Amino acid sequence: MERPQQTDIGLALSALHGTLIANQKASGTWGYRGNQDSVESTCFAILALRQHASLKLARATHALLSLQNADGSWPAFTGDEPEGCWTTALAVLCLMGTGQATKHWASGVRWLLDARGREANWLWRWKLRTFDNKVQFDPARFGWSWVSGTTSWVIPTAFALIALQQARPRGYDNTAQLTERVDIGARMLLDRMCPSGGWNSGNGVAFGVALAPHIDATSIALLAVIAHEKEEKVQRSLHWLVTRLPGCPSPYSLAWGVLAIAAYRRICPEARESLRDRAEELMRLTEDAASIEDSCTLAVSALALEAVNGDSVFEVRTA
Amino acid sequence: MNPDRRRLIISAAGVATGGMATARLLPEEMLLRDRRPRRSRVAIIAAQEYSESLEGVLVSGLQEFHLNLHGRSVLLKPNLVEYIAGAEVNTNPVLVSAAIQAFLKLGADSVVVGEGPGHQRDTYLVLAQSGLAGQLRSQKISFVDLNRDDLFKVPTRATYTGLAHLWLPGTVLNSDIVVSMPKIKTHHWAGVTLSMKNMFGVVPGTKYGWPKNVLHWKGIHRSILDICATAPVHFVIADGIVAMEGNGPLHGTHRHLGKIVLADDPVAADFTCARLMGLDPYRVWHLARAAQFLGNGSHDRIDLIAEGLPLRTKPFDVLPEFASLQTRV
Repeated sequence: MERPQQTDIGLALSALHGTLIANQKASGTWGYRGNQDSVESTCFAILALRQHASLKLARATHALLSLQNADGSWPAFTGDEPEGCWTTALAVLCLMGTGQATKHWASGVRWLLDARGREANWLWRWKLRTFDNKVQFDPARFGWSWVSGTTSWVIPTAFALIALQQARPRGYDNTAQLTERVDIGARMLLDRMCPSGGWNSGNGVAFGVALAPHIDATSIALLAVIAHEKEEKVQRSLHWLVTRLPGCPSPYSLAWGVLAIAAYRRICPEARESLRDRAEELMRLTEDAASIEDSCTLAVSALALEAVNGDSVFEVRTA
Repeated sequence: MNPDRRRLIISAAGVATGGMATARLLPEEMLLRDRRPRRSRVAIIAAQEYSESLEGVLVSGLQEFHLNLHGRSVLLKPNLVEYIAGAEVNTNPVLVSAAIQAFLKLGADSVVVGEGPGHQRDTYLVLAQSGLAGQLRSQKISFVDLNRDDLFKVPTRATYTGLAHLWLPGTVLNSDIVVSMPKIKTHHWAGVTLSMKNMFGVVPGTKYGWPKNVLHWKGIHRSILDICATAPVHFVIADGIVAMEGNGPLHGTHRHLGKIVLADDPVAADFTCARLMGLDPYRVWHLARAAQFLGNGSHDRIDLIAEGLPLRTKPFDVLPEFASLQTRV
């Protein structure tokens, strides 16, 4: 049997949705756990509730749009400097996922296409190749940084890749540049994989030591490189994830893991076979949804359970 | 006056008279207000293992400092980096648990534990895997993920990074007493990671990334100085029972030091820890500078109120680029 009972998932989703709705602020946004608006939590919460009848979607979307910077990017939270950062990919994904504000997400895509890790600059690339080689990676393969002016890291690169790949079939017209950035970004992720498979936060090897993968980084990266599903490195990472995920005590990491193995279930029997058990574990961990303070964790958990039912907002269509 | 500071002041005096343009040539610490206490107190306490007896050890140790804890809120900031099975990477949960009980026993109104790991985005995963989540649950103590707390813009009180301000978590700013609880370790970028480097964990990932890469580009030593000059650090409890040498902070080897270090000044704490490690604190870039404006480093301004420093210490193993930190045995 591939999936847990639909009714179980339905009940679990209902509890998660209910808590998320209760957590929505008067301004329409969500925070992590406190009072401050968080773009990450708001984007994931809107996506998780996009089909929910009682969501004040217009208010939530309006709040998200009001946070957009003049250059098309998004800040990390209300009051943040207007420099643009890693949350831009999430806002683009959110608006595309809810089918809204095309002009706004298109300007976010343009910002993403112009944003690049610091190692994309030839001078830094030369420096990283010549002097700063304690951390092993190929600086010619760059992606996206958390914050402008810094180097590329796995999670912001993976989020940007998912957003750009989803923009392509939605008629975003800057295809040559988009294709090139997706290609370089995917090659960056494959270059920076841990030797055992999976991804740490940035590199696979530092100071001569192989780094251990992280569940969330590995899952998000796998979602981003699904077009490379047949590559041995991707298969190795998926195997690491499927093996590592059982017993994960944290709903946040487990939810990302479920999203990744749900995306690969059609092509990987190992992923397909483990999906049901991992979904059940996630339902157990989120059973008392009201006790989970972090709206981001609630939203990602809901999105993961939806993905088990075959509806994933992070999936990228492969050719 | 500290001899180091006096020497710097004399050598810089002529230049300083040249006006603002010339002042820019001065070392930053010369331009910062001297915030060092007259004297700092440090207690080196023997502790051979992580056990229930640590609570009593900490109660006795803390009493020596005569802290006014009544009605105060305390934030304990341990070093939670990542969970690696079998490796003593994080501040031991037994010590954190003992510190909670000790502060409550001595009259603190509330104690919370907070941390914002650098690389691992899933803070709760590290908390659970390290065993600290279970400890806190059983003690009914709250944990705050400092990477995702409400943030406030605070003007920097030093000028090493050039950042005009830092965004800091409300929990850090609103606590009456912030206690840095580092694990005594070597560090492959900074040389050592002690109570000052531990404060990197109060800088929020939401704003600065995972890792806090903005600060890496500004320089780790420089960032440590700006963070510690700006964020409050009132007390230190350093975990040196099992420390780490070599390729720290994650992949080094265990070194049984058998010590806990308590201090009312993070700079004095770190100087003392470095000396216990057999390393010369004046050769650690951020420590040498911190001792000129932020806290005390010289022996003559630190009162060791429990054990003294050992006469001979086998220096901690370090990566080759930090060999100059090692003092001769």
